[in-house]
Amino acid sequence: MTSITDLMRLLQFGDSMLPVGAFAFSNGLEAAIQQRVIDDIDSLTQFVRTGLGVAATTDGIALIEAHRGALAGDVDRIARADHAVAQRKLNEEMRTMTLRMGRKIAELLVHVAPTPLAQEWLTRIARHATPGTFPVGLALVFATQGLSEGHAFTAHQYGVATMMLSASLRLMKISYLDGQAILREVNALADDAYRRSAAATVDDMAAFAPLADILAAIHVKSHVRMFMN
Amino acid sequence: MRDGDMSGEFTMRSLCDAPELAAYRDEPQQLPAGAPGKDGFLRLGFEHRDGRSVLSELAHRAPLLAQQALYYDEGMPELPHVMMICTAGGVLQGDRYAVEIIVGENAEAHVTTQSATKIQEMDANFAAQMLDIVLGENAYLEYLPDPVIPYRDARFIARTRICLPQSATLLYSEVLLPGRTHYRSGERFEFALFSSSTRTERPGGETLCSEKYVIEPQRSDLRARGVMGDFDVFANVLLFTPQGHAERLFAETAAEMNAKERYAAGATRLPNGAGIAYKIVGVDREAVQAQVRAFWSRVRREVKNAAVTQQFQWR
Repeated sequence: MTSITDLMRLLQFGDSMLPVGAFAFSNGLEAAIQQRVIDDIDSLTQFVRTGLGVAATTDGIALIEAHRGALAGDVDRIARADHAVAQRKLNEEMRTMTLRMGRKIAELLVHVAPTPLAQEWLTRIARHATPGTFPVGLALVFATQGLSEGHAFTAHQYGVATMMLSASLRLMKISYLDGQAILREVNALADDAYRRSAAATVDDMAAFAPLADILAAIHVKSHVRMFMN
Repeated sequence: MRDGDMSGEFTMRSLCDAPELAAYRDEPQQLPAGAPGKDGFLRLGFEHRDGRSVLSELAHRAPLLAQQALYYDEGMPELPHVMMICTAGGVLQGDRYAVEIIVGENAEAHVTTQSATKIQEMDANFAAQMLDIVLGENAYLEYLPDPVIPYRDARFIARTRICLPQSATLLYSEVLLPGRTHYRSGERFEFALFSSSTRTERPGGETLCSEKYVIEPQRSDLRARGVMGDFDVFANVLLFTPQGHAERLFAETAAEMNAKERYAAGATRLPNGAGIAYKIVGVDREAVQAQVRAFWSRVRREVKNAAVTQQFQWR
């Protein structure tokens, strides 16, 4: 049984208000709306589901591996997972996002719950010894708080969905209620996603979302935008 | 260079252990997987000799082979063109191919196929391909095979390893068609598995970038927004080149959704200053291949100050 304090920590570190800069990104949504790939609730739901699937089969696998590395006290194992994520971010926009948020969460961890591992991780990022991606930083937060890899995976998936849906509220005609309905619907996919990711190795990280990649490339080159690239 | 057969055996085994193949390990009723005639090997070695590049090494095992190098490129008359050929009627279940392309210091080459790679219908096992590309200092390789057509229930896994120094240039393209679009009522995304991974390293062992995509149309909705949407054809183009070239080519390459020609395309800078990844999806093969060709022309102009000549009428 998970303690109430543990559940509260899950709420805290899974909250979309966590100051890691998620609000500045749309995970490709802005270009998708500008290019009319998304124009209604159904297409938005599909796009969020695609984003969550990609997150589970790439970042989600590295997050679980980093969590296991942290429990084993093996910093090099964590760093290998971190490099593996970074070298798979072929997309510049996603690379920028994961590195900015990854550094912020490492700083946050050192501030609110300093441990030798957290200090070591932030030092490695500062020395450019490791890229410092977001899923790996999030895994360290959960591992050092005694929270499970499943909890870390939960927070990561939830964060991807809320990032995209809160961006959608600012970019298209959609009500808060519809956003909540989509969030509730897509969250039902997370159990299966976790089972698959937990059984995979870092070498198995894979995704196929070419249109999302192309939209991110369009976003980088576009002149009018609300969200960062 | 390593002994191709030994390393091919070892890495082929690890490739065939990939989890996405779990459901497809049964033996074909015909020849067993990897049997003689299904265990293709091809090694192409290029060297720079007396002012031009030559195909200095050619080793093969059926069903793979290659023709001698031809010098018909009007834009780069010194550039050897080699066509890889598969003498079987396409890629069959249980086929295992290993291809090695080595381009030595200062050498140049263009490698393509004779026709589209047809991955036949399968009811047992799968087909697998290993591709190793090794470039020397200042080497230049255009690797532009014809499109791949996976038929209904086809299962195919490919692993590509690329090793090149900072001074070398590799243009690598992979074009995937949805199936036999003019066969019977038209076949679109009815294959079972298309898995492709690419890892690029420096000669010292530093990994620059990796990519793996697993496409399983029978298990997940390829028509979802963000995946293929209404598009049928996918091209993945990777360019590894010195950073100055990459920056100029990135600036020249438009990212757009083109409603008239019905394609979407965009380039991104790769991690670690490795080069550019350029992805295109389209409704028609012609529009996608035209964008690949336009990108190839810009690359050749930038890196070699040479033109890509007009497509032959029969290609």
